[in-house]
Amino acid sequence: MNITFIKRIIFTSIGRKFVMAASGLLLGGFMLFHLAENLLLFKGEVAYNTWVDLLLSNPLLPLLELGLAAVFLAHIAAGTWVRIEDWLKAPSGYEARNWQGGRTIGSATMSYTAFLILVYLAYHMLTFRFVDHSIGFYQMVTSAFRSRLFVAVYVGGAAALVLHLTHGLQSAFQTLGVNHPKYTPFIKAGGWLVAVTMIGFALIPVYYLLNLDLTAATGTYQVTIQ
Amino acid sequence: MNNTKHFNVTIRVWRQEGPEEPGRMMAYKVNDVSPDMSFLEMLDLLNEDLIKKGGKPVTVESDCREGICGSCGLVVNGDVHGPDEHSTVCQLHMRRFKDGDVITVEPWRVKSFPLLKDLAVDRSALDRIMAAGGYISVNTGAAPDANSIPVNKDDAEEAMDSAACIGCGACVAACPNGAAMLFTGAKLSQFALLPQGQPERQRRVLGMLEAMDKEAFGNCSNEYECEAVCPKEVKISNIARLNREFLLANLFGKAEPAATSSHLISTPDVPEDE
Repeated sequence: MNITFIKRIIFTSIGRKFVMAASGLLLGGFMLFHLAENLLLFKGEVAYNTWVDLLLSNPLLPLLELGLAAVFLAHIAAGTWVRIEDWLKAPSGYEARNWQGGRTIGSATMSYTAFLILVYLAYHMLTFRFVDHSIGFYQMVTSAFRSRLFVAVYVGGAAALVLHLTHGLQSAFQTLGVNHPKYTPFIKAGGWLVAVTMIGFALIPVYYLLNLDLTAATGTYQVTIQ
Repeated sequence: MNNTKHFNVTIRVWRQEGPEEPGRMMAYKVNDVSPDMSFLEMLDLLNEDLIKKGGKPVTVESDCREGICGSCGLVVNGDVHGPDEHSTVCQLHMRRFKDGDVITVEPWRVKSFPLLKDLAVDRSALDRIMAAGGYISVNTGAAPDANSIPVNKDDAEEAMDSAACIGCGACVAACPNGAAMLFTGAKLSQFALLPQGQPERQRRVLGMLEAMDKEAFGNCSNEYECEAVCPKEVKISNIARLNREFLLANLFGKAEPAATSSHLISTPDVPEDE
């Protein structure tokens, strides 16, 4: 590996796709982890806050956060580059062109779902990450999910995420060169399964909005940006 | 026994005088079409009629008319190579249509394939990818003994499946991004799978990719439309192999510059005429 390699990764079409695929898989893995964390909400305040405290006490956390942000930025940068180039180079002027079954709703809407996920992420960051956490994390989350706006954003974001991953995950394997007549059907099915699992991100807020958990915090949550 | 009934269709076809001229769709009536005619024979019928009436025939590319040369390529009613699955447009027959049909015929509308005239496009961008590595450098001579280079049967089959690519450009025409990855992947795979392709393996992938990126092809986003239209049923596993070869060439290859077609043309030993 040398400077040529890095240049080729950035300045070739396949190189940029590798960035897309590798960062996408990392983000997919992070989303699974993040969902698992959030499911602790159902175990109650003690379990959730204990986990958050454990996480916050890790001295490497800021580093991990930076790494995650870098992966996000790489994914967004590569995606934007590829998308703009494709818009410029795509065949145009067909009076009609029928899709022949390769394209799916997920694959056709990748850049749109990507934008929705970005909005969702920004909202999530502004309301949960860059705020005053003194009321306690469990209190913050469960009271926020009493707000309809919150829940609407989360359900919409999760839906976009599901659609994005139905194409994204299996596509990442194909890009990284993993394609095999025997295993590819399993990779595709696995990609779908993980994608559908992301519905969890919508179910959690809906659960609290519908007051299904009587032990959760009540009242309205005031967002105060630090 | 001839129980076929001739019928009439209307052809809406793209007419364009030259690369820089403005083009437009024109409608023509084609009468007395036999259902046994191929689509191109129907266009021949239209052209004969146009010539008789003093008009200019519609320029359309074709050669073998048996689905193996890759010359023809039209978008018929929005379908790349027509409504039949995995078929070239010359293998499309008029029995697929009925009396009174209005059939829309368009050329490949791909940025990297400049339109020459009417339905004919310049697909030399694909040739330039081939020139950048789609070959093996060996001294030809007498045919080698059949078993002098043992090849695994599975590899031979897979290489043959890749080599089935006829370079028609349907994959690019069908791709939402206008990418040529299926073509490049197939042309690379036919060598990557065989022992004869090994010596230039890394140089080949880097060179072909560089040549591909130089053209106005888009990026592959794994929409798999190419595989769905390919008349030779070339599989997207060829694209995966292209990606893999690129990664391996970068990770384990020597840091040699990518081969370009220029190294074939420029011979430093021979002084240039000035």
